Amino acid sequence: MVPLAALLVAALLLVTGCTSDKGEPSTTGQSQTSGTIAAAKSLRIEVRSSAQGPERAFNAKAAAKKATPNMERFLRRYLTVAFLDPGQQKTGWRDLLVLFDGSVKAAAKRDLDSLSLGSGAAEVKSVQPDSAKASVLFLYRGSRPAGATVKLNFEGSAEAEKGSGPVRLQSVFQVLSTPQGWRIAAYQSRTGEAG
Amino acid sequence: MRRPLAVVVAVALAAGVAVAAVAASNYRPFAASAGQAVVVQRAHAGAAAPSFNKRITFLVIGSDSGAPKFGRGGSAERGRADSIHLVVVDPVRKQGIVLGFPRDSYVPIAGHGTAKITGAMAFGGPPLLIHTMERLTGIHIDYFVLTSFDGLSDMVSRVGGVQVNVDMNISDHAAGANLRRGPQRLGGAAALAYARARKSVPGGDFTRSRHQAQILLGGLATFQRQTKQDPARVMKWLAIMSDEVKTNLPVGELLRLALMARGFPPSRLRNVVVPGAAGNAGGASVVRLSSSAYPLFARIRAGRYG
Repeated sequence: MVPLAALLVAALLLVTGCTSDKGEPSTTGQSQTSGTIAAAKSLRIEVRSSAQGPERAFNAKAAAKKATPNMERFLRRYLTVAFLDPGQQKTGWRDLLVLFDGSVKAAAKRDLDSLSLGSGAAEVKSVQPDSAKASVLFLYRGSRPAGATVKLNFEGSAEAEKGSGPVRLQSVFQVLSTPQGWRIAAYQSRTGEAG
Repeated sequence: MRRPLAVVVAVALAAGVAVAAVAASNYRPFAASAGQAVVVQRAHAGAAAPSFNKRITFLVIGSDSGAPKFGRGGSAERGRADSIHLVVVDPVRKQGIVLGFPRDSYVPIAGHGTAKITGAMAFGGPPLLIHTMERLTGIHIDYFVLTSFDGLSDMVSRVGGVQVNVDMNISDHAAGANLRRGPQRLGGAAALAYARARKSVPGGDFTRSRHQAQILLGGLATFQRQTKQDPARVMKWLAIMSDEVKTNLPVGELLRLALMARGFPPSRLRNVVVPGAAGNAGGASVVRLSSSAYPLFARIRAGRYG
């Protein structure tokens, strides 16, 4: 079982990390179980994207198409560490917080309950993704995306000690392109029943 | 008889066990079996924008060049600075000041003696104007933002106009302004006219400088209102800015500042014009800054904007 899990981790690394054209670190942390990896593999994100750029000679459709795969990898990474890997809580959500710009990291640490499974993760054994949808508007500077607004909705089913129930995220992220990859520089986020 | 009794006893026992189980489950709600619907995640909400731990100062410049639509050729960077504002923002205390300088302010310009401040940019581009302003005020400038007549009017048009409380009736043929007093949405042409009207308004260049700052603050309020309705408008505004202004702000910092600006109350930015008086130098009309300008600069350096 362990070698199989290791293989799956390696496969997921290839899918989510190493193929990133901005060198996004891997989605997977050492805490991940084979259940987490399977859940991450079954995660499908429906991304609708558009782009905003210079008024003249800008092909918005082509620009959006070009930037979407990398953003999709980033969102996959986010949802995996925030929802599909409850073990992240034991690491202090290290792999999640790295996805935030330094200017909001302290706030994100405070708002973990509205950005992830948060304190509820302790009782969660696993989460299966049901639906993930993102609407993205890229801002182009020159030939590269410099920023984006992402409206992200996620629904999943969590298996906990006491039974099972839904988990939800409804967020708007303002993300920034950095040498390390996309980073969240501002957010408005809700989780749970009211989401 | 024994058999029915045994059945009754068995039923009673079963019923007792069932009741006990139900009772037990009532006392231990978290002992439900896996698969039972429970609340795993309670409702939470959170929001954050970039935080800055020090104040930031911009030099906002309106050039009289680089505006083909208005018949003004050349590059905006080598034109004269028609509109000059220091925007000092303290993100921690959420306060600041928009400090306007009359373009004819007669000040020392490195390598050019004493001259109208408007000429500093024509002599040496934004760097020389920044140097002149820093030497005059003692206030460090972090970034400049430069636009032209075309840039201002196009930017305002593309964002759908800005809300401004026009503080006087203005009919100024030279500026193309014909405005009634009162709060209103100014389109691109009207905003530019309000920013340019000088000859027909009491206070001349001083009033014009205050009106220009009103457009800046109206733009901030409009940005906040639009991005509250649709957060994706942030990217649209930044794309428009990229087309219409020149700046030395790195794009990442521009984005962080724009996100911070969404929560900065425009009412906490004071609109002040540097005090001075009309004078004459070598036959040219100039503005000589009054002695009270220097204590004003000192207060701003000390973080006092009130």
